[in-house]
Amino acid sequence: MSQVEKKAGLLRRTSSSKKPLKEKVVLMYDEIFAKENPAKNNPRFWDELFLMKVNLEYLESKLESVDGEEVQRIQDNINSLFHHCVQALGEEHQIKVVNALQTLCALFRGVHQKNKSASGFDIINMLMGFDKAEQRMKDLMERLDSLLCGDGSESLKSLCLKLLLCLVTVTDNISQNTILEYVMINSIFEAILQILSDVSSRGQHGYDAVVLLALLVNYRKYESVNPYIVKLSIVDDEPTLDGMGMVVHQALTEYNRQYKDKEEENQGGFFSTLTSMVGSMFIADADEKLSVQTNEAILLALYEAVHLNRNFITVLAQSHPEIDIAVTPTTPTPTTPTTPLGTTPPSLDMMNNPELPLDPNLQTSNLLITFLKYASIVMQDTKDEHRLNSARLCLIILTCIAEDQYADAFLHDDNMNFRVNLHRMPMRHRKKAVDKNIPSRPLVCAVLDLMVEFIVTHMMKDFPMDLYLRCVQIIHKLLCYQKKCRIRLHYTWRELWSALINLLKFLLSNETTLLAKHNIFHLALLVVNLFNMFITYGDTFLPTSNSYDELYYEIVRMHQVFDNLYCMVLRVSTNTGQWKEAASKVTHALVNVRAIINHFNPKIESYAAVNHISQLSEEQVLEVVRSNYDTLTLKLQDGLDQFERYSEQPKEAAFFKELVRSISLNVRKNVSLNTLSQDVLLKEFSTIS
Amino acid sequence: MDDTEPDLSPTPSDQNSPSPSLSISSSPSLSLPSTPSSEGVGELSLVIDAEVAQRACQEVLQKVKLQQVEGDVTDPQDRVGQDPPGPPAPALTPTVKPLKIREEVDDPEGVAPGSVKSARRRQRHNPSKQSWLLRLFESKLFDVSMAISYLHNSKEPGVQAYIGNRLFSFPHEDVDFYLPQLLNMYIHMDEDVGDAIKPYVVHRCRQSISFSLQCAWLLGAYSSDMHISTQRHSRGTKLRKLILSDELKPAGPRARRDPLTLTPFCPVTSPASGGEHSLSPSKRTHQRSKSDATVSISLSSNLKRTASNPKVESSQDEDSSSSSDSLEFEIGPPVRLAPQREFIKSLMGIGKRLATLPTKEQKTQRLISELSLLNHKLPARVWLPTAAFDHHVVRVPHTQAVVLNSKDKAPYLIYVEVLECENFETSSVPIRIPENRIRSTRSVENLPDCGMTAEQRAGSFSIVPNYDNDDEAWSVDDIGELQVELPEVHTNSCDNISQFSVDSITSLESKEPVFIAAGDIRRRLSEQLAQAPTTFKRDPEDPSAVALKEPWEEKVRRIREGSPYGHLPNWRLLSVIVKCGDDLRQELLAFQVLQQLKSIWEQERVPLWIKPYKILVLSSDSGMIEPVVNAVSLHQVKKQSQLSLLDYFLQEHGATTTEEFLTAQRNFVQSCAGYSLICYLLQVKDRHNGNILLDADGHIIHIDFGFILSSSPKNLGFETSAFKLTTEFVDVMGGPDGDMFNYYKMLMLQGLIAARKHMDRVLQIVEIMQQGSQLPCFHGSSTMRGLKERFHMSLTEEQLQLLIDQLVDGSMRSLTTKLYDGFQYLTNGIM
Repeated sequence: MSQVEKKAGLLRRTSSSKKPLKEKVVLMYDEIFAKENPAKNNPRFWDELFLMKVNLEYLESKLESVDGEEVQRIQDNINSLFHHCVQALGEEHQIKVVNALQTLCALFRGVHQKNKSASGFDIINMLMGFDKAEQRMKDLMERLDSLLCGDGSESLKSLCLKLLLCLVTVTDNISQNTILEYVMINSIFEAILQILSDVSSRGQHGYDAVVLLALLVNYRKYESVNPYIVKLSIVDDEPTLDGMGMVVHQALTEYNRQYKDKEEENQGGFFSTLTSMVGSMFIADADEKLSVQTNEAILLALYEAVHLNRNFITVLAQSHPEIDIAVTPTTPTPTTPTTPLGTTPPSLDMMNNPELPLDPNLQTSNLLITFLKYASIVMQDTKDEHRLNSARLCLIILTCIAEDQYADAFLHDDNMNFRVNLHRMPMRHRKKAVDKNIPSRPLVCAVLDLMVEFIVTHMMKDFPMDLYLRCVQIIHKLLCYQKKCRIRLHYTWRELWSALINLLKFLLSNETTLLAKHNIFHLALLVVNLFNMFITYGDTFLPTSNSYDELYYEIVRMHQVFDNLYCMVLRVSTNTGQWKEAASKVTHALVNVRAIINHFNPKIESYAAVNHISQLSEEQVLEVVRSNYDTLTLKLQDGLDQFERYSEQPKEAAFFKELVRSISLNVRKNVSLNTLSQDVLLKEFSTIS
Repeated sequence: MDDTEPDLSPTPSDQNSPSPSLSISSSPSLSLPSTPSSEGVGELSLVIDAEVAQRACQEVLQKVKLQQVEGDVTDPQDRVGQDPPGPPAPALTPTVKPLKIREEVDDPEGVAPGSVKSARRRQRHNPSKQSWLLRLFESKLFDVSMAISYLHNSKEPGVQAYIGNRLFSFPHEDVDFYLPQLLNMYIHMDEDVGDAIKPYVVHRCRQSISFSLQCAWLLGAYSSDMHISTQRHSRGTKLRKLILSDELKPAGPRARRDPLTLTPFCPVTSPASGGEHSLSPSKRTHQRSKSDATVSISLSSNLKRTASNPKVESSQDEDSSSSSDSLEFEIGPPVRLAPQREFIKSLMGIGKRLATLPTKEQKTQRLISELSLLNHKLPARVWLPTAAFDHHVVRVPHTQAVVLNSKDKAPYLIYVEVLECENFETSSVPIRIPENRIRSTRSVENLPDCGMTAEQRAGSFSIVPNYDNDDEAWSVDDIGELQVELPEVHTNSCDNISQFSVDSITSLESKEPVFIAAGDIRRRLSEQLAQAPTTFKRDPEDPSAVALKEPWEEKVRRIREGSPYGHLPNWRLLSVIVKCGDDLRQELLAFQVLQQLKSIWEQERVPLWIKPYKILVLSSDSGMIEPVVNAVSLHQVKKQSQLSLLDYFLQEHGATTTEEFLTAQRNFVQSCAGYSLICYLLQVKDRHNGNILLDADGHIIHIDFGFILSSSPKNLGFETSAFKLTTEFVDVMGGPDGDMFNYYKMLMLQGLIAARKHMDRVLQIVEIMQQGSQLPCFHGSSTMRGLKERFHMSLTEEQLQLLIDQLVDGSMRSLTTKLYDGFQYLTNGIM
């Protein structure tokens, strides 16, 4: 009881809920946990039970406290409770449905809590009994499906989703949750889709539905055929896909907005800090921690959609005016519990509202832009484990996007120009470039900017090698597309070149520390090969002939770096060691860069000598470059425009397992909070019925 | 619907009178007591067969003559009284009809004197003026133009009624050209003219959805100048309501209720009356169009709130179309007009909302996003009225749309993908193909294309070794990949466009190092950049320049490639400018005049070149324009190229001696001559370089006829010259002493002489539209007189030549042209 009180206190319940006497429902629970069949003395026992307000804390703690032997004794009663819960879902009396849903929630959680080590089969046996499990679960899923698809109360639907989320996340590792096998057989995929395709239900339940879907897709992903994966991959209904995109878009937008607000607060004066302090007294702490984590779930959903469903790619470019949720009054329906998820499902929905708000300051946006902004925020700080995972996932999503031909087509579409305000990390050696007026450009420029930004800002001791590799590969994939389609993007390639050269410089100067942990030669090879792309195929995608000259200028100017790199890889490749082969690949890759340096350096020096100039201007160097191309011979390298396509398995499997685990934990935590605070909901139904 | 009744009730009796055969077809249904809405049926039964109508013409004419003989003042009621006794026998034997009619038509001209009929006619009345008129009316020379003219000028109700019926015998396209005139007369002239015109209009409305909408739009637009109180009860407004209420369904569905039909349960078989325009409605297509409508209704009902539409009845129309439930749907297609109206309304709504955004960039972005929403509702039974063929709109390539240059309004240009079809009313609406479906088609389709461009551009190799790999890379299935992950060497996109990649593949096999010269790469880069057709630089302040500069063929190819519908053989690309907040009625008038002059010049074989572009008037402040393809404004040319016009010609077409340049120059001269005359005759003002286009063949094309006849911008007194002829123009023609310049003047003379010969055909168009109009071009009382004077009927050809010389000299020396350009540059930034 004391435990209950503590929990209630945390939830800021009113004191009225602390009752000295045992509630009726608690007595009834006690009866269930006794040996006898509770219905024996009272035939209306089950009917009455579901009319009582559920005491989740008590029920759960009771389940947890059951001893091993006791389990055997009361199993029949628990099976019976489960059975009646499922039956009550079909009741017309909505109070009963609500109570049954909550009781089921407590059952799932309590039983799992108790038997953390137990096998999934034991749990199933304890809840439903082996022989009846299949039928019970079939009934349950069917009932939930009809509740979700029916025209019933929205809060009921919300509760159904919470129950499903609760069920999906009861185990830390989703793949060990054997009950989900029944959820696979009795699919609720269609119900989820229906929620997403309908505008109003999407607004209220979209977030939960999307998270649920993302989790279900990850159940035994690599071991068996997951019907949710198959189904998700073939969805081609545009409103549904749009709906899914919209939910993700809104969640990410909300995060971006919160971040921006916070950033402004930090920059603001004393008064704003004060107000924020006052404000944060109530919610801030929880909010702050949760926001990153919940967006991982949404990000996972985005990933699964992009990765599995090729039709979803179009949704990325589906543009709609940016919704400033802060401005539009969200009308919290009394039934919607205030979610501490950081994202109140925004009631305003663009698809719902073709009469677009006439605010001239609204920037047209799309999911991809929002995602890029989000990525730019997340990537700023990768020290935190969650943020690192988020950043990694962002880069994986971008990899998938960069490989998709349709996505590439709209990324490079000259008619779809946008201003994308990426967040840039404030750094000592550069001014914060907020007021830099970003021109409206094709979206691929923003992607490249983001990559350059990442490369420049993460050269640190704790080197995120994995992220760098992804980053460079994304650039490579984009270049391959440009070469293939002969797209001459007007981009300041110079920024990219100098960022890449600086990266090489960093690798060189931290060789010893980095080599202890990473294969730096692989990264160096990728970077050098990017230069080789420009050198050998520049004619197919560079915007001006001048840019080709500038490439040479940049290489010659920074020749020291390439020289040092060459020395280093030569040294390593001549020694015997684990890096021998990797290093020798880099030496081969450097052949053209070295040819350029060896060709032009003497020319430039002699030009300086002849003209008696100690320091040549850029224009003069470019002049030398221009007039000496013809005597330079380059070697053609193989496979520069080839890349390995992204595949989740086996490389990324471990990452996703971990990610899903952390999302599960997090969702479980939030769901528990939500399901417990359903007073409002009960009140609603008691007045209706 | 109640307010339309008073309008309807007098008409049936009237309309029945000229066409006795009608009463036969309609009376059985009228006599039926079970028919629920008798007055509605009475109206609906007005199905007029063109042949029947022709016959009716003869009847009426006879009567007219009779009445004239008797000296009676014609009274419609009287005529009705006389009518019933004489339903002509032939109407009962439909099979003989066509033959007989041909006889009658041929009758008056040649062999006529011998025939009994004409002999009888001659007996009946005196050889008065009327008979000459009659002979004219019945002659082959009597065309629509004359019909319209007599309809307008004749005060004689009988003649008007005759012509009204005679309209049925003209080809639809010919009458369509004069539709604005017809409807304007219907609205603004007296009862008799209206009554004469109405049966024809109603008949055509029944036949065609697009004609119905066209009428409704024009009626709305031309009624708008009336005072609001009279407007509401005017004939035009009532007819418009009738059309929009969709009462005027084709006869087919109604006939189903007709008990005379022997097969009442088979909806497709329609009786003789519905033969040519039966819908043969497969239920599916209706369902489809209905669902389209209901979907889009939700879109536009929201638009409605922002749209500050002054039209009183617009909301009412809305209700009538959206409230159509499935019950009504059974009897016919109640939402016949709805999809198209919603489509147009959405486009207008976008324009209105764009106007509220401050910058071009925001407008462009918003436009793209709005259009992408619109795409969700397509394909549907909607079409572009400016197109010349039947089609369904399937997709709007939203990223291609551009906002046009305008200070406060937001006209925009959209490209529209359509699928050509037999008949947009009956052909089924294409099935939606999801946006990204191109990927599956692309890999197959692009192969030959890709190979071609590769050869064009690189030109260095012909063997394409690894298309298969390429193909695979495009169509790799993520799911398959998920399960079987093969680390393939070639899963990626090996390019075969560049020479190197081919080499790189061979080198992969031979392992022999291949060397390339850096100089070659650099050279190729600059060559390819130079080779690329001159494009304009993207300018956020002038987004349309780039889009308009791209050659149309190339744009079509590009959009087709990117479209999920592109593989269909009947795929076509159209474009249209949507104008919102602009009155296009003057543009329409100008279009008509231009079109008329064009056909006059063609008829007279004068090689003047003008390009009338189609105008669709939707209301008095909105409409659509068919864009001129492959043309950019002189302003954009000058701004982007920073060259003089002659240098631009040299750049685009080559040196002065080349065939290409000479062709372009000739085109330039012929179009200059054409438009100089147009500008002079119509007094087209506001001729700054933003309003003059230059197409890829060297033609100039004047656009924006907002200031013509009696109106000029701000009345600043600028632009006093007859037309715009700058020294730059003359330079392109080869200077004021060159042969081409003389050719220019000669063309103008020939053109003016030809136009003078057919002056009436031009004057008539303008004169009828002046009726009841508040348009600024009709301001003052001397508009028509001035126009007539500019044809200089009294001058001899020598004098005309002198006049042309004077005009040209005056325009060349005109300081005001220069001044006006400077003024435009200062105020609007137009070069």
